[in-house]
Amino acid sequence: MHHEPESGSSTSGKSKWTYFEPVQVTEKGVAVIRINCPGKMNTVSDTMRAEVERLWKADVESNASIKAVVFISSKPDNFIAGADINMIKSTPNKADLKRVCMEGHDTFDVIAKRGIPTVAAINGACLGGGLEWALHCDYRIATTSKKTVLGLPEVKLGLLPGWGGTQLLRPLVGLQAALDMMLTGKNIRPDRALKMGLVNETVDPASLERVAIQAAAELAAGTLKPVRRAKPLAQRLIEDTPAGRAVVWKKVTETVAKNTGGHYPSPPAIVDCVRHGYGAPTKRAALEYEAQKFSEMAATPQSAALIGLFDGTTALKKNPFGAPARRVETVAVLGAGLMGAGIAQVSCEKGLRVLLKDRDAASVSKGIKYISDNQAAKLKKRRATKFDTDLALSRVVPLADDDTLWQRSFAQADLVIEAVPENLDLKHRVIQQAEQYLPEHCVFATNTSALPIADIAKASTRPQNVIGMHYFSPVPMMPLLEVIPHAGTAKEACAAAMQVGTRQGKTAIVVKDVPGFYVNRCLGPFLVEACALVEAGVGLEKLDKAIKAYGLPVGPLTSADEVGMDVAHHVQAFLAAADLGERMGGSDAGIMREMVGKGMLGRKAGKGFYVYEGKKGKRINPEALAMAKGIVKQDLKLSTQEIQDRAISRFVNEAVMCLQDGIISSPVDGDIGAVFGIGFPPFLGGPFRMLDQRGAAAYADMMRGFAERFGPQFEPCQLLQDMAASGKKFHS
Amino acid sequence: MMSSSSSGRFLARRLLSSVASSAPSSRKPVFVDGARIPFAMSSTLYKDLMAVDLGKLALAGLLHRNPELKPAEIDYVLYGTVIQESRTSNIAREAAMAASIPANVPAHTISQACISANQAMCGGVEKILAGRAEVVVAGGCETFSDLPIRFSRGIRQRLIAFPKASKKGPMGILGLLKGLGTKDLAPETPAIANYTTGEVMGHSSDRLAGRFGISREEQDAFAARSHVNAARAHKDGLYKEEIIPFNGTTEENGIKADSTPEKLAKLKPAFVKPHGTHTAANSSFLSDGASAALIMSEAKAKEMGLTPRSFFKSWAFVAVDPFEDLLLGPAFGIARVLDDAGLTLKDIDVFEIHEAFAGQVLSNLAAMDSDKFCKESMGRSGKLGAVPMEKLNTLGGSLSLGHPFGATGTRLVTTATNRLHREGGRFALVAACADGGIGHAAVIERYDA
Repeated sequence: MHHEPESGSSTSGKSKWTYFEPVQVTEKGVAVIRINCPGKMNTVSDTMRAEVERLWKADVESNASIKAVVFISSKPDNFIAGADINMIKSTPNKADLKRVCMEGHDTFDVIAKRGIPTVAAINGACLGGGLEWALHCDYRIATTSKKTVLGLPEVKLGLLPGWGGTQLLRPLVGLQAALDMMLTGKNIRPDRALKMGLVNETVDPASLERVAIQAAAELAAGTLKPVRRAKPLAQRLIEDTPAGRAVVWKKVTETVAKNTGGHYPSPPAIVDCVRHGYGAPTKRAALEYEAQKFSEMAATPQSAALIGLFDGTTALKKNPFGAPARRVETVAVLGAGLMGAGIAQVSCEKGLRVLLKDRDAASVSKGIKYISDNQAAKLKKRRATKFDTDLALSRVVPLADDDTLWQRSFAQADLVIEAVPENLDLKHRVIQQAEQYLPEHCVFATNTSALPIADIAKASTRPQNVIGMHYFSPVPMMPLLEVIPHAGTAKEACAAAMQVGTRQGKTAIVVKDVPGFYVNRCLGPFLVEACALVEAGVGLEKLDKAIKAYGLPVGPLTSADEVGMDVAHHVQAFLAAADLGERMGGSDAGIMREMVGKGMLGRKAGKGFYVYEGKKGKRINPEALAMAKGIVKQDLKLSTQEIQDRAISRFVNEAVMCLQDGIISSPVDGDIGAVFGIGFPPFLGGPFRMLDQRGAAAYADMMRGFAERFGPQFEPCQLLQDMAASGKKFHS
Repeated sequence: MMSSSSSGRFLARRLLSSVASSAPSSRKPVFVDGARIPFAMSSTLYKDLMAVDLGKLALAGLLHRNPELKPAEIDYVLYGTVIQESRTSNIAREAAMAASIPANVPAHTISQACISANQAMCGGVEKILAGRAEVVVAGGCETFSDLPIRFSRGIRQRLIAFPKASKKGPMGILGLLKGLGTKDLAPETPAIANYTTGEVMGHSSDRLAGRFGISREEQDAFAARSHVNAARAHKDGLYKEEIIPFNGTTEENGIKADSTPEKLAKLKPAFVKPHGTHTAANSSFLSDGASAALIMSEAKAKEMGLTPRSFFKSWAFVAVDPFEDLLLGPAFGIARVLDDAGLTLKDIDVFEIHEAFAGQVLSNLAAMDSDKFCKESMGRSGKLGAVPMEKLNTLGGSLSLGHPFGATGTRLVTTATNRLHREGGRFALVAACADGGIGHAAVIERYDA
């Protein structure tokens, strides 16, 4: 599938350039400039940009025989994957980035001055600065490869397209499509790119270079004229009249406000730049405005937080235990409930063979149906082909306890993930039953959210192969995985579990075998605090709204309703009885216990803190309201800020405690776990990044104040105090 | 794959039986496993699926049932289907790929009416005998829930001519409408009729039953027996081992457990009206389903740790005059395979005969038990004899289980094999008729590990 240029990549090393191959000129005067940055990915940086200008001046500008230019990549799977994020991070004064952007425009001015057509020949990722590079060209050809995607994902890093994207995209695809691309940062596939006018042609990867050279020659000869897609009348009325645009601005402003909750500055800035382009006196002025905004965005804490998460996720793709000696090909999943079926789905979609076992054929078939329904949905949304979904489903082997076939099949399992109910005896039975038929090397992973892995491993004859893999429900949606070795787990088992987790598309963090592991351990004090806040007179809806306003996807009450009151209460009760001591204090969470007793189990029961009325949505449950009123000890009339700080500080303090105790190995893991596991606000970057930005000293002071007023559960942990005292940051 | 240097000398059909049992282990074809997804009445369980989807389910299910089989070692896939969906004309290939059989395993589709899967299995056996393969996946699939209903020929001709005509402008397009009548608006649906004779199969079978004097009562009794047997077999769990669950169940929805000859007697003739004997109840119904079987060389099966279940002792495909003897193939085929195997009907412990129509099965039994027919039409010295009913289709048959054309053959061989093991028999006789006057028969011998 990869495009292999006939020459170019082989000449790397001999090139006088760092980021480019030597320029080749065809007989017809087409100069082929091959981008070949060091490493696997082409990225745009200040030095790379400066080099292309030198290259241009040395080899193109003065060569009169050159009639046209093709920019093409020497990499098999990317044109230019984006701007070099390190460049942004390593610029101490972000205001300097404006100059960097403007010098980029200077370079393209130099290129434009020569007056010859430029063609971008795109195969693989063409994102961010890469797409902007292509937008500066006169003609774009994309390959139909699965790897070819185009997009401006800057918004995902709290930035905006700073190299002309907000100005150059709109004329090609129209105002609405341009805003959509830049505000969502989504990837555009080649067929769609062609339809919307983002590229002029699509070709098979094998013919990209030939077609691009030919197009360049024809553009130079005037026999090929780029045709802009004609806008339909309705689109012209909306986008090309002031009245129509007024509607667009109003609508987009509303949508942005709704989707960002006011937490993210970059989407409004993107809209602002695009809008500014209509009134700007010159193109240069519009570009300068964009560059200014870009440098401002780069200086925001939100951007630093999002870039931190991006870097963390990338770093966690590397297996800290190295590649396992034996690659896992067959995964057995015990239990075909929601959790088991979810694990089976993310496995089979990524090419793993799955042995899915439950009590009987009917129980397994429910899991198979879950997977096949999700496959059908993907097919409908064109996220997968029929063949993809067929293959995924064919890889799942349904097995039942009442048919001995599972015993024969298990002989091939490389890794087992059990997802049976949380009961130690049951887990022991399951492990003993399976082990009789599993090969020696097979890793046994237990998906528990509470039970100690070491206790589960006691039933195994090969405890060194036992490990915890804690998934979050619904598995296909939730990106986090906690991998939990117990004290006796072998390195090889850790390596296998991490490899499988990564292959399943999860970001996996290694966590110590302690009650609640990392995410739930931090969630425990937070849940208790939610109950304590109710007891302190905070109304149910006010509590949910305050936490949501802080930036979590849902408030604690909605969250308890969604996961199930029984589950939430179980976690709370389990942790209250564990080793957290005072840190689980503040409330006995009696309201949750009472609600479980009354069958108010949340959404699955139709009622919990809220009443669920099908299509009509949900409203606060009067019964829960009455119960809440009944437990108010004293109405402290807390402000929204106090509500947020009380609840979140309990979570944050526990997270720091986890780092202190070595439960997690780094602040990066702690941030990723919190953001991906419970939806800790991404714009804050996670608890540790938040502490760095807010200042550990200020935070510790605030907590001490709470401790004095509300009790020792707010006492900041030692590490937090140390950081406060030293002024050090968690992230260097 | 093995060298073919010494292949080619086993072509004479009469030699096949002796070859099959004396071949070296690497060339001794054995039946390792067979299974089907539940057969279902059309437009019920599988109404939203294509035939290729059913085939995928059966093939994937076969792989799942045999974890010891390494898919990379499959040499060939032979798969049957009858009603062709043009998008999947080589349905064997598409179904195999979708079932996660590796892309480098070749596959081809066999269309031989109701014995397509029989041909697929025997083709696999012959490939192994010839040293051309050691692991063959065979079977077939069919759906009547998604028939290729077409525009009429008149419309089709004009649609094909359209691109050319449209170049001449509006007048060219208008010209296409010339000669188009209202009758052209009716779509064409595939009929279960023979192309050469133009006769609907039920009509032909009804005439055959008349020729052999098979009464309506006998046919209804045979059909009711099929349903009762099938219902009992399912109730006793005998089919669990050969059905791949769909939606968690192995139930087959065409079986009417409460069938009695009295109830069946109420139906009106379906083909020859008003005096015919074939009704909707004593004819097999339109079905959807798929099946798959694993045929291997004995050596390869043992090497992988799979246990052979049976082997084809002798087999034959025969063809007779479709105008008069359309569905009499089984009688001719049975005579031949018994001779090939050196056996008589008395040596057979298990009979699995495809039930296209009750009248067709009973006509074949009558033919085999007739001195006159066996002498005059088969050139034998006398009759083959009677098939003992207590050994025939004791777990039901196509009349009750259903008959997805391309899939039935595997069911017959699989059930026959399982019955041999369960009942302690040595030889099973499998036979089936097919459109075009073709028939298949085989002697299956139990394999003792």
